Amino acid sequence: MAVKVLIVEDNPVARSFLTRVVKESFSDTLLISEAGDLESARRQIGPIRNGDAAVDPFKLILVDLELPDGNGMELLAELGQYPATKIVTTLYSDDDHLFPALQCGADGYLLKEDRFEVLVEELQKIVRGQPPLSPAIARRLLTHFRSGTGGVGGGGGAAAEAPPIASGFQSSRSMPLGRGAPLDHERLTPRESEVLTYLSKGFTIKEIASLMGIKWFTVNDHIKSIYKKLNVSSRAEAAVLASKQGLV
Amino acid sequence: MAQEGIEVGRRGALNAPAPAASANPPDSVLDAGPGVAHGRLPVRRSRWGQGKSSLLALFVLIGVASIVLMLHALTESPHIGGRWHIDAQGHIELAAASDPLLRPHVGQALSGVLGADDRLTPIDPLALQRTPRWVLHDDERERQLASQAALAAAFASGTVRLIFSNGDTVELRPAARGLSGIPIAVWLLCALALAVWTLAAFEPLRHATARNAIYAVMGVCQSVNLLLIAAETALEFGLPAPFARWSMPLHMAFDLFTAAAMLHASCVHPRRLPGAGWIALAGWSVVLALLLAWNLGLLPNAWWLTQGTVIALLAIGIGLLSWSYRIEPHPFAIVLRQFGIVTFSTWSLLTLAMAAADGLRSVPHNIADTGAMVWYVYFAALLLLVPFLVRSQNVLHEFALLAAVGTVAISLYLLFVAVPGLAQLPALTLSLFVSLGVYSAARQWILSQLTGGNLLSTERMFEQLYRIAREVEARPERSAVLLSQLLGELFDPLETKADELRTRRSRVAGDGSSMLVPLPELGSAETPLTHSILLRFAQRGRRLFTIEDARLTDRVVEQLRRAVHYDRAVEQGRHEERLRLAQDLHDDIGARLLTLMYKAQSPEMEDYVRHTLQDLKTLTRGLAASNHRLSHAAGEWKADLAHRLAAAHVELSWQCEFDVDIQLTVVHWSALTRILRELVSNAIAHSQAQTLEIDFKLVDDRLELTITDDGTGHDPRAWSHGLGLGGVRKRVKQLGGEVEWREVQPHGISCRVVIRELSARWQL
Repeated sequence: MAVKVLIVEDNPVARSFLTRVVKESFSDTLLISEAGDLESARRQIGPIRNGDAAVDPFKLILVDLELPDGNGMELLAELGQYPATKIVTTLYSDDDHLFPALQCGADGYLLKEDRFEVLVEELQKIVRGQPPLSPAIARRLLTHFRSGTGGVGGGGGAAAEAPPIASGFQSSRSMPLGRGAPLDHERLTPRESEVLTYLSKGFTIKEIASLMGIKWFTVNDHIKSIYKKLNVSSRAEAAVLASKQGLV
Repeated sequence: MAQEGIEVGRRGALNAPAPAASANPPDSVLDAGPGVAHGRLPVRRSRWGQGKSSLLALFVLIGVASIVLMLHALTESPHIGGRWHIDAQGHIELAAASDPLLRPHVGQALSGVLGADDRLTPIDPLALQRTPRWVLHDDERERQLASQAALAAAFASGTVRLIFSNGDTVELRPAARGLSGIPIAVWLLCALALAVWTLAAFEPLRHATARNAIYAVMGVCQSVNLLLIAAETALEFGLPAPFARWSMPLHMAFDLFTAAAMLHASCVHPRRLPGAGWIALAGWSVVLALLLAWNLGLLPNAWWLTQGTVIALLAIGIGLLSWSYRIEPHPFAIVLRQFGIVTFSTWSLLTLAMAAADGLRSVPHNIADTGAMVWYVYFAALLLLVPFLVRSQNVLHEFALLAAVGTVAISLYLLFVAVPGLAQLPALTLSLFVSLGVYSAARQWILSQLTGGNLLSTERMFEQLYRIAREVEARPERSAVLLSQLLGELFDPLETKADELRTRRSRVAGDGSSMLVPLPELGSAETPLTHSILLRFAQRGRRLFTIEDARLTDRVVEQLRRAVHYDRAVEQGRHEERLRLAQDLHDDIGARLLTLMYKAQSPEMEDYVRHTLQDLKTLTRGLAASNHRLSHAAGEWKADLAHRLAAAHVELSWQCEFDVDIQLTVVHWSALTRILRELVSNAIAHSQAQTLEIDFKLVDDRLELTITDDGTGHDPRAWSHGLGLGGVRKRVKQLGGEVEWREVQPHGISCRVVIRELSARWQL
């Protein structure tokens, strides 16, 4: 049975390029659908019900952030419970753009300017559960969890780290959501914090594994877990964020 | 002792615990109303209740009533219409006459007065001198008193006969003087006396403290002194009996009390000296003992004793003020000492001139009266102005003028009239002119002596203001320190410290020794621990803070606040502009370049477009962000380079070391980012290296970046420096550094970038 893939991208050239990347990355039979904007993407996905989605859901969704009728993050936020690997494809590599996307539930990101081979490799890694994590995003994550953004103080993560003036374009303003104290699954373990700290200093996964004396896939597990915690901790916030970003 | 408590309270206020300051407002009149001036704390206002107003009204009423009574007595006093002066032979001569009966005798000398009871009173030149206070010798004074009493009796009897030396006799009926017979000088003296009296009552009512009480003693003594002088000025012949009897002891007592009070004041103000109580007690005891002994007739030479005692007490007071200044450089001590010296020297001069003129026949008869009167008026003015010293530098200036001109004029006048052959009017005119001349010549010096000058020039102040505004804008957390610096330059205080006291406007406190300046809201994120800055002892303790200084400071602080807000708004605007630009560049050009890259015909073309795209991203990121912490940037460099080298199958060895985690400016960040990327791209493209070693080191502001490969490249001098390496050279140069390439053993190329003073061009 064919694996269903959705590529949301407004630039037709980029869309066909990404289609090539996806085809190259997997040996399965693929059924690739393309959408040029949020509206047609929503149409293709169909109604999303809680828990289980459509009968034959997409397994992989690539979403561009900058779309003619809104921001890809809105779609990501809507797809919170959708059982697909969701990947952000973007030209923006800075944390100001990527971090909110990850908060919205993205499982990873691809930088569109990378070479074909690099993109194929990265995509495979994400699907295998080895998402990338840039130093800037690692730093943001550390601040996010350290300031207990999972709980009180809401948007502290984004706002506290850098004052509005210093942050990038489209600064991600966020607001306190008045939630209770962070739950256990919203806190980082010491190991996870350590991994993040190394990542923020630019160490590679291999280097971190040897520095911490663990296997590289253990490091990877930590990263996956961090992604999940970020996702859980900021789902509500992300919805707000996404709608805000959509308005910008 | 009450003063002890006050002193402690006042010091407490200066050392700034907030509640103490409002509970114990700086208090004395000599303090010159730090709070009253404009602090106007509600606590203080409520203290001035209904009761005090009516008390003050009562005091003023008493003063007015006394003056009215005295004037009434004067108008009722018998009077004959003639003006008298002493001729060269020492006889009393009729100078002018309004009475037609007297008019024929103008120019004749008076030898005696015959009363209704036919008792002849021989006329002595002393009879024309109005106050026994300034008669030098005891026996002369006795004689004067006797003759005054006899004359008064003769005038009171209804008819007097004046006997002139040429034998002429004129019979006159002295009439009541009436209001028109009272000279203008008397009215002026009465007004001055009332003013001094009112202030003397007002100050202790405002704050009932020992120091204000001392001030009140001086004020009361001097106002009564002035009233007596006024009465004596009005009468020319014959002081009424009670006047004559009381004049000397009253004048003497008031002068001595004033001197003792001044001594007392200098012990406790501006700071309480060790043993102040004993010193003051000694001063008062000496004065009281002297008065008592003199009253009992135990002491001869009353005049000399009085003058001498006053001089001694003043000298001790000046010494005490110098001591006080050495203990604590309170500028008020200096100001008081200056006034003390002026008072001391004029008093001594008056005394000397009196002594010198004694016995000289040609000396105008009223030198003693006029000279003394001028001195008392000067002293009364001093008393009136002291409470207002802190209000304004202008008052201080005017005061300096008064003191200086007063001193010089009195001294010269006394000197000139003591010189034989110079008439009174020319002497007065001459002395005034000379003193004004001396004052204008020495004006600057006198002003700086009394008030301290040398404020920061306006130009320099503006320069400072804007420099500090810039700095505060960049580092709001340092605003308190920077403002302190600015105020320090403005006032050159001995001490500047942060204070948690809250105040809405700048306030002068502690008799002008300190000023409390509120810290403006300059937008620093954290709540400040300190709310104000306390400056103490302007111009290293040589200058008083005045209310004008406080207002100036308020304006300076306001300007600073505005400048910072303006800068911030400008910066915000710039930032938004840059963001918009960056976003447009990124979205439009970026998307086009991406399309171009996907459509590239050859891998070279694709790489070229990719580099361009990356440069565009660096550029837009630089536009969007203002600063990058070095540690953050280094992490990103490393991750980025590792990513790219891994794709090219080159091993990366990364060393990064820095002593300070500086904030890289956008210029530095983007230049270093591009240098690194370019050099690594170069190595990937041309060297066929297995490993690349990057060594980044920033120590003591010296940046050293070495990139070494183990590839096949050699002889860098023969390279044609294309777009890539040319760009590296350009950027290194832009940062003020040098770059060189050389071969390494066994094979490979090393590129070394050295920037000696990285921060030197921070404001690029």
